[in-house]
Order: sequence, then structure tokens, then C-alpha cells
Amino acid sequence: MADLEIRDLHVEADDTPILRGVDLDLDKGRTIALMGPNGSGKSTLAYAIAGHPAYEVTGGTITWKGTELNELTPDERAQLGVFLAMQYPVEVPGVSLTNFLRTAVNAVRDEDVPVREFMQSLRSEMAELGVDDSFLQRSVNEGFSGGEKKRFEILQAALLRPELAVLDETDSGLDVDALRIVAEGVNRLSGPDLGVLIITHYTRILRYITADEVHVMFEGRIVASGGAELADELEEGGYERIRAEHGVSV
Amino acid sequence: MTTLSAFTEDDLAAASAAAGEPNWLTDRRLAAAKRALDLAWPDSRKDEFWRSTPFQQRIDVDRELVRSGAGDPPRSFTDGLGLTLPTARIVDGVLTEVTVPEELAQRGVVVTDLSAAATDHRGLVEAHLGSLTTNDPEGTGGDADRTITANDAAWTAGVFIHVPAEVELDAPIVVRIHASESGAHLPRVLAVLGHHARASLYLEHTSTSDVDALVDQVVEVIAADAAKLDVASFQLWGNKVDHLALQKVQAHRDSEIRHVSVTIGGRTVRLLPETDLVGPGAQTRPLGVYFADEGQWFDLQPYVRHIAPNASSDVLFKGALQGNSRTVFRGNIFVHRDAVGTDTDENNKYLILTEGARADATPFLEIECADITAGHGSATGQIDALQLYYLTSRGIPRDQALRLIVTGFFREVFSDVELPGVQDAALERIEALVEAADLSSFQVNDASLQDLRDE
Repeated sequence: MADLEIRDLHVEADDTPILRGVDLDLDKGRTIALMGPNGSGKSTLAYAIAGHPAYEVTGGTITWKGTELNELTPDERAQLGVFLAMQYPVEVPGVSLTNFLRTAVNAVRDEDVPVREFMQSLRSEMAELGVDDSFLQRSVNEGFSGGEKKRFEILQAALLRPELAVLDETDSGLDVDALRIVAEGVNRLSGPDLGVLIITHYTRILRYITADEVHVMFEGRIVASGGAELADELEEGGYERIRAEHGVSV
Repeated sequence: MTTLSAFTEDDLAAASAAAGEPNWLTDRRLAAAKRALDLAWPDSRKDEFWRSTPFQQRIDVDRELVRSGAGDPPRSFTDGLGLTLPTARIVDGVLTEVTVPEELAQRGVVVTDLSAAATDHRGLVEAHLGSLTTNDPEGTGGDADRTITANDAAWTAGVFIHVPAEVELDAPIVVRIHASESGAHLPRVLAVLGHHARASLYLEHTSTSDVDALVDQVVEVIAADAAKLDVASFQLWGNKVDHLALQKVQAHRDSEIRHVSVTIGGRTVRLLPETDLVGPGAQTRPLGVYFADEGQWFDLQPYVRHIAPNASSDVLFKGALQGNSRTVFRGNIFVHRDAVGTDTDENNKYLILTEGARADATPFLEIECADITAGHGSATGQIDALQLYYLTSRGIPRDQALRLIVTGFFREVFSDVELPGVQDAALERIEALVEAADLSSFQVNDASLQDLRDE
């Protein structure tokens, strides 16, 4: 049994079916890229894994390390090691980045990490990601540029040390330098204890992060699977071939 | 027996003589008494500025004036600041204690009994006491309803504060007002800042939890040219105290005023933090946080009068409500026809945490001059589901996430307030209230969730 096992997953948002039977396996230590055109349901899968309240699982299962996630709250999932780097990170006014991160780290590790130790690891991760110290006093995501928000997502992953990291369009909106910094951040986290699911429309992030498998989603189902060569093929020919093979245009 | 609704001139003359007040002050009290007794008590159906508090239902004026000085106030949030602060204490209608560190006394800083100051500092007191509570054709003053005029006549304990010109104080001056005896409490504060003086004034209002009292308060502050003044007023009353407060500053040329109010305790609190911008270039920033719970009624009426040109005002009040509580924010801005170049903005935001609470926001602008910049905004809301999701998705349990969001909501008000102890004291108390609340009853608004469904 794979660490993450998704079986025949059906998900609706606002009573509209989006995922129509998704199967996916991901083991720790491996990296999977999930690609697909806009509207194919990639992000919906990410949210379903992370328990977003706007998405309702209407059928099928998401099992993580033997535990069925469907009935768990978002914080319970995070405490099991699930992390979603969001496409649109949310601004939380008045909650300082430091306070937020420390509260989250303590909750996930279920211990009171000493302030000094916490600040040390925070500062060193910030330095790695090129995040300025001035961010410590800022409110969560408030007034951050797009690139800053994405870096901050990866910073959170670095501190929370998840076992499953879902990166939802983390590359979108990043310039080349920022993309490289973010990708290096992900690569530093990678290892035998982390499974990575990269959700992306474009292949550019896959130049920096090597995927073991590539899957293509179309209209709420995975319609093609392969190795890294599948991404190259998409880079060359776009999603046209997929569209042609699987019918209606999007 | 002397009550707030039926004091006589004889009562007041006797009390004034007992306090050793000079004749000029006794005469003023008697003149105010005459005016007060001629006025009716406010009628919330008719009086524009009383529509927001049902006076007849909530305010009992048939109460004896308290003059016992008997109670013992609780610890002050300023105790932890590790400083000897200039402090005045009014307890149960009596000024019981005044402390002025020697170093400040040598620099001419005065904190003293207002009755005695009427003799010892007659020039300043006679010129300014009551100058902001009587009608003035120039548009300053004008708050002469009976609740205020009654204080003019019958205040029982007063503090006079003087910070001479060019004296800059780092530590706050603390006036603590405490009620432990039921009845009517009439405290009075007069503060005068000379030109280029800098000071902060903390008003800390407390009571025992069971005392049933009406506190009818007037605070007048004169800020001369280029003075910098911060006022921080904490309403921490027990839940049977009604507090009617006029806290008014007259701001002269290029002075900078900030008023921070923290309204948490009290059955009824009607707070009027007012600024008359009478000198060109003066600035005021009335800020407020409030958290209302079951049975509480908070009526917050910052009032800014732009009398002189090129002055600015920026009002921000943020509140949260739970249980059957009611809050009213009424931001009054008056711009005189000569006040060209006025820049004014006011904002009120509040969170309705549970069902049954009701909040109203009314910006009230009276603008006689066209050449100005004015803005106002109001936002009501509930806890945002998307923010809650974001925090919980990082492993933070729901209750803890709610606490972070609610206290974070208030933090904006303090973003540029660097008054020692003020932000911590306010946020700690708000945190404690959220901690004690039934978080499962908090309403979460999921409208923001829709924004994400762009796939």
C-alpha cells in the first residue's frame, strides 16, 4: 500500500462535480508532477487532500499512511504531516509571521519548542530562502508580493517538516531567480521522508525539481501517466494532443 | 442627601467650601448648577447625539453623589512598567492619592488636586476649566447637555495636570478612577500642555464587580502650539457600571493629538473622545478598540471639529461583539467654512462573533468648506473562513486559530501606537475575553471561500 493512496475520488465545489474518479499513489521519498490545462481539477485535488471547506468529497477515498483523511479537520491532517503550499496564500492581518509560525510549529510537533531554538531555525531557513529579517514583524502574507508569498509557503514547509508536501502552482508568477530559490528550497526538503506532489500547468519548475512520475489530468480524471519524458512532450506539443485524444475542448 | 438629579445650590456651596475652593470656583459651580437644573435630561428620541443610547432605559440619575474615598483599587496595568509614574487616584469620589516624582516636579510638572489648583494655579485653571464644555459661537465647545453641565456643577474629585512649555515626558501620567461604592461618581480632569510640551495621559477606569454606579465624567485637555499629547483611556468597569464620558482636547497650531480608547467593561459606556482642531496644522488621531459581551451597550462617538485650516484627523475604531450586546459607532466630523485644506478620514470595522449581537455604524459629516479631503468607511464582518482555513491547514487547532484572528483584527489599531503598556494591556484583555468565550458559537463567514473556485 502506498503512503498516499487516492481511490476513485469524486469532489464537488458548490454542487458542481470537478473530480470524477481520480486514482493516484505516492510514496514518501518520491516526487510526482500532476499537470493539466486550467480547469482540469488539479488544484481541487490539492484542496481535497488538505481539507479545504469549499470542496466536498462525494465519493472515493484519500488515505495517508493508512488513515482515511476525509473525515479529518485541516489541522488534524497537518498534524499527520500533510502540507499544502497554496496557490493563493491568504492574508491574515494583525497576526505576525513569527507568532503564526511558532504556534503552527508547536501544534504540529505537539511540544513547546523553546523560543531560542525556534528563532534559530527560523532565521536560518529565512536566510536560505533569501527572506529578509524585517518579515518577522509583518503580518502573515499581508502586503507580500506574489513571489514573497510563495517563498513564505516554502519557508513554512521547511519549519513544519511535512511528510507529504503538495505544491499547488508554486511556480506561477515567479521570475526565474525566484523560481530557482523556491525550487532549491523544495529540493533541500526532499529525502526519503518526504513525498512531493507538484501541481503545475507549465513544465518550467520541472527543470529544477526532478519528478519521478508525471500524470496529466483532464476534466477531473488522470488521462495520461509516464515518466519525465511526458512532461517534455507536453512542453513541445502543449495539451493539444491530450485534448484531441480525450474529446471536448476546455 | 445630594443626588445627581436633585442637588441644590446649598449642597454645592457647602461641598465647595469644605474642599477649600476659592469663591470664583464656587460661583462657577453655582452658575453651572443653575444651567443644569434648567435643562432636561437627554431624550433619546429627540436629541440627535443621544439617539445611540437609550438614556431613559439605561441611565439612572437618581443616585446619591459618592464622596467616601473608601475603596481600594486593583493593580494597575502600569504597575508592571517598572517606573515611578506621576499618578493621581480618584477612589469613590475622592482624590485619595497624588504622586509626582521629584525629578518631574523640579521640571515644573504639576499633578494635583483640582480644588486646590483653583487657588495655587488660578491663572490656568480659571482660564481653562469648563472652557470646553460651554457653548462657544466659534464652534468649539457645544457639549453642554445636562450630563456634562451636571459635572461642571457638582464634580466631586478633580485632578489638575500641567506640563509646562517645552517639557517632554517619556513616562505617562496616570489617572486612576475607581468605584467600589454604589451611587453617582463625578470625576473631573483638567490638563494643560504648554507649547512644544510632550506627554501622555492614561485614564484607567476600574470598579469592583458588583458595584452599581453611574460615572459621569469630564476630561478637558488644552494642547498649546506644537504640543504632542497621547491619551489612553481604559474602560475596565464591572458589569453594573454606566459610564458617560466626555474626553475633549483643544488642539492648537501644529499640535499632535492621539486618543486611544479601550472599552471592554461596563454595562453602558458612552464615550465621546473629542478634538477641537483650533490651530492650523493640528492633527488628531482618535483610535478605539472595543469588545462587547452579553448585556453591554457601548456608544462610541469620536467627534472632530476642524475649525482651523490645514488640520488633519484620522479616526479608526475596531470592535467585536458577542452575546446580546450592542455597539454604536458614530463618527462625527465637522468642518468649519474657514477650514480649508482639511484632511479627514474615519473608519469603523467590527466583527460580529455570535448571533444576537448588533452593531451600528454612522459616519456623520457636517462640512461647510469645499476645499478639503474627506473619506469614511465602515466594514462589518464575521471571522473569515479562508483565514481560518489557512491557519488550521498549518496544524493550528480551530480554537487557537480563532483567537489569533480576533486579536490580530485589533492589532491594526495599535500599529503605530508606542505607548508603554497600552497595546499589551489591551490585547491581553481581549485575548482573555476570547479565551473565555464559547468559541464553538462563533460565526464564520464563508463568502471568501467562493473566490478560490476559479478552476
